[in-house]
Amino acid sequence: MTPLLRAIARARKPIEAASALVWCSVFLAFPGFGKAGEVLPGGGNGWKVLLVFSEGKDLPGNVSLEQSVRAALQKKAGRPVEFFTEHMDASRFSDEAHYRLFRDYLGAKYAGQEPDVLMIVTPRDFALPQRLPAEVFRNVPLVFVTSSELDPPDALKNDGVAGLIEHLDTRRTLLLARQLQPELQKVVVIGGKSECDHRLVERIRLDSALLPGVEFEYWTNQPFKEAQARAATLPQDSAILIGTIFEDGAGQTIYMTHAAQMLAPVATVPIYAMTSGAIGNGALGGAVVDPQKVGERAATLALQMVQKQMHGKLEEGTNSIMMLDWKVARKWNISSMHWPAGAVIANRPRSLWEDHKGVISSGVAVILAQALTIAALLAQRTRRRRAEAEILKQRDELAHVTRVSTLGQLASSLAHEINQPLGAILRNTEAAELFLQREKPDLGELKAILADIRKDDQRAGGVIDRMRSLLKRQNLQSKPVDIHELLNETVALAHPDAQARQIKLSLEVAPGLPEIRGDRIHLQQVLLNLLLNGMDALKNKANGERVVSISAAETMDGGVEISVTDSGQGIEPDKLGHVFEPFFTTKPTGLGMGLAISKTIVEAHGGKIRALNNTTRGATFQFTLPGHRS
Amino acid sequence: MNTLVPNRAVFIVDDDDSFSRALARLLQASGHETRTFGSAQEFLRELNPEMRGCLLLDLHMPGLNGLELQENMVGAGIVMPIVFLTGHGDIPSTVQAMRRGAEDFLTKRASREELLAAVERALAREVEERQKRERIDELRRRFATLSEREMEVLGHVVRGRLNKQIAADLGINERTVKLHRTSITRKLQMPSVAELTRCAKEAGLFEEEGAL
Repeated sequence: MTPLLRAIARARKPIEAASALVWCSVFLAFPGFGKAGEVLPGGGNGWKVLLVFSEGKDLPGNVSLEQSVRAALQKKAGRPVEFFTEHMDASRFSDEAHYRLFRDYLGAKYAGQEPDVLMIVTPRDFALPQRLPAEVFRNVPLVFVTSSELDPPDALKNDGVAGLIEHLDTRRTLLLARQLQPELQKVVVIGGKSECDHRLVERIRLDSALLPGVEFEYWTNQPFKEAQARAATLPQDSAILIGTIFEDGAGQTIYMTHAAQMLAPVATVPIYAMTSGAIGNGALGGAVVDPQKVGERAATLALQMVQKQMHGKLEEGTNSIMMLDWKVARKWNISSMHWPAGAVIANRPRSLWEDHKGVISSGVAVILAQALTIAALLAQRTRRRRAEAEILKQRDELAHVTRVSTLGQLASSLAHEINQPLGAILRNTEAAELFLQREKPDLGELKAILADIRKDDQRAGGVIDRMRSLLKRQNLQSKPVDIHELLNETVALAHPDAQARQIKLSLEVAPGLPEIRGDRIHLQQVLLNLLLNGMDALKNKANGERVVSISAAETMDGGVEISVTDSGQGIEPDKLGHVFEPFFTTKPTGLGMGLAISKTIVEAHGGKIRALNNTTRGATFQFTLPGHRS
Repeated sequence: MNTLVPNRAVFIVDDDDSFSRALARLLQASGHETRTFGSAQEFLRELNPEMRGCLLLDLHMPGLNGLELQENMVGAGIVMPIVFLTGHGDIPSTVQAMRRGAEDFLTKRASREELLAAVERALAREVEERQKRERIDELRRRFATLSEREMEVLGHVVRGRLNKQIAADLGINERTVKLHRTSITRKLQMPSVAELTRCAKEAGLFEEEGAL
């Protein structure tokens, strides 16, 4: 039994390994699973950062800027940071009533829980702080994050204000134009007539020296529509550079993005711009604000302000990155050889991998994990099958050995059982010989003798067949088993032994039992074992009490329950739980395998076996077999 | 064949009908009367001292087994030689059976010669036993005619005591002893002391005195 138990134990381990693998694959399939949610400090030692945007939420620049500020602050703070964001949407709602509403809203919302730092993200002007509720934000350090050609007002240079004033990168944009268009002859700068517009144009004029031999033309004092029309007639080897148009010839404000959108369909030459929005909307390229760099710098400033490492600082300059539009470059036939290294390429038709990196990688991970799981399960199944086959083989062998030893116990009484008919045959033939020597043999008597001989031969043959079937080494089979026949045959096998021991066997089978499927020989072994145990239990009993009863009845769930009851001493209560354990025995010469094997056999049939003490005397062993009613 | 035969039958007691029937056939074909019984109890119900013959007895039977039947018969003082038959003989049962005076112990598949010889022997022995029993009964009847004093004197005579010694032991006259002895010889019609002694022993007299 020990190798059997060991084999079961061996089979258990790979199951655990496989289940661990399944868990792994779940985590791989959902990479976000298990990551802690954003920590809300709730007034602890975390920081509250309020980001106020002067423009709407959806502006592409704002989105990436907010992301980079958040990321940089969270990384640098070293403690939980809670973010609040508000958008004034000043371009679309530019009346005083809206400003008042916004101010009152912020005042009511943040009264009593001032942020640790207020960051103003505003691409257009510095007016926003004045539109915030002073009573709430009076003592809150202020950090500007802004790209503007405007000069910051002196008021901002006071204590308590820090800022990042990001200038449009005219220089690198012009250099990019030359790099992409080596034959460049002419640059048309479209600007406006406001002071701010004018300041930018002046910078471009200065920078034009970077492109020697290139003619510069400045369209600053005409309605945008006119500029649009003229753009359609520009000669080859020219370029358009869009400046700020806070006020065109007609007094209109036109954002760079819109300008690029309107010019691109008609322009005969490539358009350059200095905002990322424009480059996604028809402009070929330019040096644009790098939200990553700006975010990091702004975060550094904010931290310094919160930690009171400084009182205020305005940083002016450019933090730009080269960007160009892949589709527009194709349109103008600009070879990628000329593309600046490290440039951000917009509108590149992305590969499936780029578009669905997460999905693909997690998909691949899932498939991989599944494949591994399947492989592990297959390997495990092979091992388990081998172990199971081993167990089955060992069980069959063990069952066979115990059957043989059971038959050994029965051998002498079975020999008697065989000698009986053989003796009768011998006497009958001797008698027949003597009858035949008579002058007038009695043929009727001879006929009767022959009939008796045949009957006795069959009787002896039956005993041998029963023994041989028990001795047969075979695997567990599943065939219909007739319970009546099974019980009768088993009782017949045990009968001579019972007789020799002066024990009465009583058999009681309920009518109409359900059909059972299983292995007749193995079941017979179980029964025989229980019968012999019952008989052994009667060793010290007086004659009248020497009874072993066998009964079969239908169970509630349509199976069959077979009980073997003896009238012996019963089982000691503390041993009752151990009788089915291997090597457990109460007999001086017992091996302790019979009941263990019986249990294995019954369970292999899907049944259960149990032992109990009778209320009066002796013990009952019961086993159930599931019914097979079709 | 099962009609009661008063003299010399072979009684077969075996729970195996088929074997009993075959055995009965063989014995009948060999010239014996037979009677078969399915169990020891059945045989005991019929048993009486008038039944003559021998018993072929199966050792293993449900209910009362062969040895127990033998015990019963010995206890009841019934003289009937028993030949035990068994499918397989085991030594303890054999020894026990033989000690109690079993005639023979055979397996059921013993040869016909063995079986018939055993039956003949048993039957012969039965006659012998019967005759012996009858002779003892006769002797006892004769000894019973002696008076108490004569029995006393006889007891001393068979132990080889002289008349003088007997007279001293019993506190009587030597002549009176002689008169008793003459009376004994006349009643028993046994002229010599030697014959007297032999018959007394045969009849089982004076055994308790440890002298014979």
